[in-house]
Amino acid sequence: MKKKLVSALLCSAMVATMFAGCGSDKETGASAGGTEAGATVEAGEGSVYLLNFKPETDQAWQDLAATYTEQTGVDVTVVTAADGQYKTTLQSELAKSDAPTIFTIGSKSDAQEWVDYTYDLSDSALYSHLTDKSLAIENDGIIAGVANCYECYGLIYNKTILQNYIDNYEGAVISSIDEIDNFDTLKAVCEDINSNVDAINEACGTELTEAFASSGLDSGSNWRFSGHLAGIELYYEFKDAGCDLVAGQSEITGKYLDNFKNVWDLYVNTSAADKATLDSGALNAEEELGMGEAVFYQNGDWEYAAFSNPENGYLVTTDDLSMMPIYFGVDDANEGLAVGTENYWAVNSKASQEDIDSTLAFLEWVITSDEGRTAINTEMGLTAPFDTFTGDFASQNGFAAMANEYAAAGKTSVAWSFNATPAVDDWRADVIAPLTEYTERGGSWDDVATAFVDQWAYYWAEENK
Amino acid sequence: MGDKSPAPLILSGRVEKGTVMEKAIRKYFPIFALPTLLAFTIGFIVPFLYGIFLSFCEFTTVTDWSWVGLKNYTKIFVVNGTLDTSFLHSMWYTALFTVVSVCIINIMSFIIAMALTKGIKGTNLFRTVFFLPNLIGGIVLSYVWLMIFNAILQNFSKTIVTSQWSAFWGMVIVVCWQQIGYMMIIYIAGIQNIPGELIEAAKIDGANAWQLLRHVTLPMLMPTITICTFLTLTNGFKLFDQNLALTGGNPGKLSQLLALNIYDTMYGTSGWQGIGQAKAVIFFILVAIIAVVQNKLTTSKEVES
Repeated sequence: MKKKLVSALLCSAMVATMFAGCGSDKETGASAGGTEAGATVEAGEGSVYLLNFKPETDQAWQDLAATYTEQTGVDVTVVTAADGQYKTTLQSELAKSDAPTIFTIGSKSDAQEWVDYTYDLSDSALYSHLTDKSLAIENDGIIAGVANCYECYGLIYNKTILQNYIDNYEGAVISSIDEIDNFDTLKAVCEDINSNVDAINEACGTELTEAFASSGLDSGSNWRFSGHLAGIELYYEFKDAGCDLVAGQSEITGKYLDNFKNVWDLYVNTSAADKATLDSGALNAEEELGMGEAVFYQNGDWEYAAFSNPENGYLVTTDDLSMMPIYFGVDDANEGLAVGTENYWAVNSKASQEDIDSTLAFLEWVITSDEGRTAINTEMGLTAPFDTFTGDFASQNGFAAMANEYAAAGKTSVAWSFNATPAVDDWRADVIAPLTEYTERGGSWDDVATAFVDQWAYYWAEENK
Repeated sequence: MGDKSPAPLILSGRVEKGTVMEKAIRKYFPIFALPTLLAFTIGFIVPFLYGIFLSFCEFTTVTDWSWVGLKNYTKIFVVNGTLDTSFLHSMWYTALFTVVSVCIINIMSFIIAMALTKGIKGTNLFRTVFFLPNLIGGIVLSYVWLMIFNAILQNFSKTIVTSQWSAFWGMVIVVCWQQIGYMMIIYIAGIQNIPGELIEAAKIDGANAWQLLRHVTLPMLMPTITICTFLTLTNGFKLFDQNLALTGGNPGKLSQLLALNIYDTMYGTSGWQGIGQAKAVIFFILVAIIAVVQNKLTTSKEVES
């Protein structure tokens, strides 16, 4: 008798655990079928779950979510994946029953991978507010993602030091910063600065050690070259080929790889960092520029926050800094900054219709309400690509302003062609390996070129089978 | 409270048949075992079986799969008609790493354990100090060592990932530094368990230090050696944190041990989740076979004192 009682107890305990596990579903599954599509309640009756990509914006998103819940009563959950762990987190979160309703995709390749999960945003308010429709990802006939910010990259330079060099150093090879509008001049200036560092320091009272900040080949920095610098090569190549600049094409020829090599050689040869140990991970290029040791630094406008934050203790302020295009020696006269994005919002098509409606309403609120716009513009420091961000809500990022300045001067912004990269992490790793060999141990440049071209076609074929 | 009668019961580890105790244990055993059993089932058996199933599927998330049969397994070795050697490379690289680290860790920790059971001054301090590295997590430890290595190698214009062999020895050093202390503790416990009279008898019979070690200490330590080799062997094969933090698989993917190779396949390559899963299954079978064989081999050498 007792035995039976015990086993009955155990069984019920087991069953209870199982029900407890399922109980947290909030009955989304049950109510999903019974919902009338297009419920008219403005904020929606579902809930919103945002899986945030940028760790630095976590707090701002949490606050914004709380404000929205307070105003509308709709539950908004924001979870931020740890740096570099987005894909891992997304993969496990999407498998849950309470899956994210908004997630971030970075490229067409991502859109292909998540094709079963992307909701068509073409009728959304989000898409209609998007100023430049090329900042959306089209895949499989639907609008799979809409950019939530756009960014620019180029050569960040210290204009104060550069002007100082022109004014006070006798041997200066230029008489005005504006003269640096092509690769050859840039090269001449960098080589001059790097080889006469001591004389310049004496004449100008600067603390320079190099022209270019170190070009780290460790994983924390090598994307600047395998991604962004390579992106310029891809841009010119796609432009010649006449294909979509961001979607790319199945094969590349590496037509402008010599230019890539010239720029890369300039980076490493006019820097104080030991060429043989660039992959040590011990280099901090941002700090080199921030402490006034370097004049040039290839990176993007997201660095603006780092230089404007006094807590970082940098001697250089944002007033000293500006950004110029990465002159590639192809069409320097018309080249602007590289403008694009790697951050697209996608809405989970597997969520219930209620949740999708709430999610779209939430996103609309984010880009149209004062609270949302302030959060994105000021607290997160992003430049939003929507027509609602005007006047007080225009970007305060000095580098982003430079992008507009170049565009206004008739230069063509370089598209982020590296977004087309197939199997992006693999391809980049395959390019970085021979590039490291070439730079550190005198390997052949041909290996870099071969990897660049062959691996592209290889991964492209692999992905589009 | 001076009654010592329950003590033998606990020490012997088994309960006499027919006693009240035995009946009670039999009756309530499920209550005690069930929570653990449940946790084990949910946390291990179910994911394990599900993982094997997924290795035959193409999937983006674990709930969204389609059956593809053996395709994942063939794709590990042959991609687009060409041989992909990255997994094979990781395999022998890992095997070599494991052999080297098992040898060094066990020999070193045995020597240290011998030294620290001789009753020299400061024995406790030494034991604590040698054990300490084990308390630091693999990632943190590796970052610290990464700085040390690179600071030294900088003088020679090299880094830890200059070649796959510098990466190899870097990992060996870190893993040894971390695990020697742990194995040392187990060896010390083993050595202290050797009955003093055996050693004394051998000494009276005129055995020298070498003979004592060879014919008394080592045979008596076989159970300990079984445990330590098992632990170091599986640790070597499963090594992940140190690999990720210290070399990240660089240069290229040449210093990827198996676990990192699987992780990289799973998360680094889009659409390759199934192949990563298939690699994981092969990995499991491999480690299981080796562990069983090793266990058989060393257990057979164990002796009763």
